[in-house]
Amino acid sequence: MFELVKELNEGADALKQHTSNPIGLTAGCELFIAFVTLFPHDSAQSFSDLKMELVKQGEAYVRQALTYRRKIGELAVDFIKDDSVILTHSYSRVVMETLLLAHKSKRISVFVTEARPRGLGVKTAEALTRAGIPCTVILDSAVAYAMEKVDFVLVGSEAVVESGGLINAIGSLNIAIIAKAANKPFYALAESYKFHRLFPLSQFDLPSHNPRILSFPSPIDPPETSAASRTVSTPLSSITQEEIARNNPGVDYTRPDLISLVFSELGSLTPSGVSQYLVGMFAG
Amino acid sequence: MATENGPTLRVVENLAWKLRRRQIVGSRATALETLLVLRQVITKSRFSNMEQLVTIIRGVGRRLVEAQPKEHSVGNTVRKVLHHIREEYHTAMKGAATETYSGFTISKFVLLGQPRKQTVVPKTESKGTLKENDPDDPDAFARSLKPVLMEAIQDVLDELETVYDNVSKNAQNHIHSDEIILTLGMSKTVESFLISAAHHRNYTVMVLETAPSYGGRGMAKTLSTAGISTFLVPDSSLYGLMSRVNKVLLGAHAILANGGMFAITGSLLAATAAHAHSTPVVVCAGQFKLTPLWNLYHEYGALDFGDPNQVLGFEEDGLVDKVDVVNPFYDYVPPNLVDAFVTNDGDHPPSSIYRLIKETYDDEDNEL
Repeated sequence: MFELVKELNEGADALKQHTSNPIGLTAGCELFIAFVTLFPHDSAQSFSDLKMELVKQGEAYVRQALTYRRKIGELAVDFIKDDSVILTHSYSRVVMETLLLAHKSKRISVFVTEARPRGLGVKTAEALTRAGIPCTVILDSAVAYAMEKVDFVLVGSEAVVESGGLINAIGSLNIAIIAKAANKPFYALAESYKFHRLFPLSQFDLPSHNPRILSFPSPIDPPETSAASRTVSTPLSSITQEEIARNNPGVDYTRPDLISLVFSELGSLTPSGVSQYLVGMFAG
Repeated sequence: MATENGPTLRVVENLAWKLRRRQIVGSRATALETLLVLRQVITKSRFSNMEQLVTIIRGVGRRLVEAQPKEHSVGNTVRKVLHHIREEYHTAMKGAATETYSGFTISKFVLLGQPRKQTVVPKTESKGTLKENDPDDPDAFARSLKPVLMEAIQDVLDELETVYDNVSKNAQNHIHSDEIILTLGMSKTVESFLISAAHHRNYTVMVLETAPSYGGRGMAKTLSTAGISTFLVPDSSLYGLMSRVNKVLLGAHAILANGGMFAITGSLLAATAAHAHSTPVVVCAGQFKLTPLWNLYHEYGALDFGDPNQVLGFEEDGLVDKVDVVNPFYDYVPPNLVDAFVTNDGDHPPSSIYRLIKETYDDEDNEL
């Protein structure tokens, strides 16, 4: 049993190595490993039976997890009034499901932020427009400008942490602070397998943080040494989009006091309610 | 099923009509009436398994809630009774139940995090001999369960009847000598709280008139008759007086799952003014006012509207067709403006109200 848990941990580590943003993955892995540890195995005949049972459980959970987005959508649709103007950020499958579901019975219009550097907001806008929902892409910097027109903000999540805060694509914290200042509700949609046992005290406590982020580049060398780089532009203006993206974070942490409610398939939760669940799950 | 439960259906219809015509108003009164009706329904109804009983009660609940959706305590009482019934049933069936191996799934594992249900002291010593769907004796299940259910309902009834006493139990701990308390409108819970504290402490109360219903006048009269030094002030002087006030005491009509509440018009003003002065806002309410509903405050209609004649009389001929008069009866007060809820079951901050609700009611009853 001990070896099994060790193998699982090593597997989880290997998976985490291969992705640039391991937070959601970590949450799911921890849930499964905690489940394996607490699974009652006294009535199992043999170890291989137990293993088969665990595999079956895992597959059953995956099947069920695919229905969670729909459940969350149905729950969130109750909060969407007719003729609402919704602001969302980047691309999130849960939010897409919710908006498409709401479109069937209510009139909604959507502002999507561009979500640089990955630019996934455009993907959301195209999908929504195809479905017939009036949708506009706004600049990340235009959120404060547009906040007056918005009724509420709806975002997905990479992970929901123990403090009740939210980890989501970079830009979510900006939107949350502006929403709070304008007194607009900020709703987060998260399935329960995204609840993560992390308690960040600042942006730099996130596991996705590395020293490269927000670091200052070394001083520009004199022109003769940089002749090797084949850039056409002058040495002082050779900052490319890729470089900007590399030095900037991919996710940020939104504090719980900025979030109005978290919707998950367990029901609607206040941010303080999320920590109740996490403690119950992992502290047994 | 309707034909079998003829007489019980009449009782339900009577209450539904009284609610619709607003002949019964007020959280506690409606809760008591609902409970009595439910007791009659359970006594007279016939059921041979748990599903049927739950369906019957849910049907009654739905009928009553549809008659008067703004009286949330009706639905709350039905949900509470359902919760008690399920508790009793599970205790009685404990002997027969077997813990299945496959019952432990990952999704259930996540639910382990749910707050523990409030353990109702079970009336049955687990006999485990409840026969459901017995073809020879269809009433066996009902017979064995009914007396137990009657006792459970009696518990809820006792709780409702002793609400005022229990809320006022610790009144002296909340109010200190020489404090100035601000309150508004007419609330029996707040009234009994203040009178109970007056036995031990010497303090002053300022009561807002609370136009257009002017409930504050009755409240001021009762309090001064009880010997408390009372000031009756017009609503407009609220902000000016707030700097002298030590505590704001409010009553509630219904407490929502996010910790917010519906309270008489004027409460939002009082709470906002108190917030600006960092004055604590304490709400006195019985636990039957806890409503497991979240999104009510988005609905403009949830406020319930009173007679516009109180605001602008029909005598004003010139204005009547030119002006749209609205007289909302309730305010929605968001959770960040309330500091504590004093209930008959202890004091709670708004952030733990959702927990109380998860413990008192079952999730599947949220939509009757």
